[in-house]
Amino acid sequence: MTSVAAHGIGATIPSGFEGRIFVRPRVGDEQPYPVAHFATFPLPDQVGDFGGGAVNLMGPTDIFAVLFEYGPESLATKLFARMGMPRTLTTGDFRPYVLRRGLGGQSGTQWFFTESGRPFTFYAVLGSHARRGSLVPKVNALLAGITVNAGVNPTAPTGGSPPWN
Amino acid sequence: MVALVIILALVVVLLGVLVAGLLRSHADILKALHDLGAGVGDPAGEHLHQGTADRSPTGATSGPLTIGPQLPAERDSSSAPDVAGVTPEGDARAIPVGDGDRFTLLAFLSSGCSTCANFWTAFAAPERLGLPDGVRLVVVTKGPELEIAAEVRGRARVPVVMSTEAWGDYEVPGSPFFVLVDGRSGRRIGEGVASHFPQVADLVRRAQVDAGYPRSTPSTPGQLDNPPGQLDNPPGQLDNPPGGLDGPARERANDLVLRNAGILPGDPSLYPRSLDDVFEPGAERP
Repeated sequence: MTSVAAHGIGATIPSGFEGRIFVRPRVGDEQPYPVAHFATFPLPDQVGDFGGGAVNLMGPTDIFAVLFEYGPESLATKLFARMGMPRTLTTGDFRPYVLRRGLGGQSGTQWFFTESGRPFTFYAVLGSHARRGSLVPKVNALLAGITVNAGVNPTAPTGGSPPWN
Repeated sequence: MVALVIILALVVVLLGVLVAGLLRSHADILKALHDLGAGVGDPAGEHLHQGTADRSPTGATSGPLTIGPQLPAERDSSSAPDVAGVTPEGDARAIPVGDGDRFTLLAFLSSGCSTCANFWTAFAAPERLGLPDGVRLVVVTKGPELEIAAEVRGRARVPVVMSTEAWGDYEVPGSPFFVLVDGRSGRRIGEGVASHFPQVADLVRRAQVDAGYPRSTPSTPGQLDNPPGQLDNPPGQLDNPPGGLDGPARERANDLVLRNAGILPGDPSLYPRSLDDVFEPGAERP
């Protein structure tokens, strides 16, 4: 297992997972916030926040997961009322229709919550809904290693094209 | 008479002390030999290198000696730990290398070495590298405490991880240095230096075949820096069996590549006499 940390998010990544924690470059007046991507396959350089450009590369035994932070204006709203990141998911939490991009055979889950005073969503995609019994424990192993620190101001690069990393 | 007896007694005592000293010195030498694994008898349980050398019933030893601190149990010279660190943009990134059905080519580069400049330039256009399919290229520089992030930022369009720890894990002697990891076995199957990327790409192709993978073509045929056919071989010459070439066939294949590169028997490059003959001027050395 390896550990990475940036922008107030830390992760002890289970074997077989790739991970990156980043803040997209600021464009105009936009305020980007940290995003963490985790996958059991090589992540392309350009991946959408919720897996665009990556989920279509998944094999049936692959997993893609996102931890996405929202701005402080989202705090105390009903969507983020749940306190704490989900740490143990079940096979019943994954459904083929909970997908940002509906690809046949895949299934997903999405949770909105507040962790350490920061609003997040966790979104995970399984390469095969039929194999969720063996894949969900891997997602739980990933969740067990994610930590969030309180009170971190994201620092985003300004201008230019998105970094390749 | 009494004086003579006293003198003789003193001489005997002196000789006794001398013999005792010699015996003590001999014992120290034997103990040192035991510690080095080359002694006689059974030194089990009292030596630093227990377990690193096999001992035969006669007391003779064979196998490697360990010098310096022992590696962790899970690590050896071919293990391939995952690479984790930060990106030149200050983000975090971890890349598993010993997993899956693919190869990972780790390129250990630095911003300051002149030989590395060739590779930084090449990695700005990865689609022209000519790497076989199924090979992922990752650049690893030292961490931000030893490398200038701004100097490597945006120079390569492949993943760049800054991690001094990875340099230690892979025992990198200097830059540039390349390590090829077979994800199927989770082991390093090749490592070394090169001055131009086509050399590396060709070695990767060979390693891929030797590891039992089907022979693949470069991702962009015809875009290698080498002239077309320069590294290709006569039909059937390198149609390797699934287990890879071995014995005379492997030797013939190596000779063919050397000839294609203009290196014939007796070429001075085959007989380096100093580090100057191995490393290009300006390259970082161990």
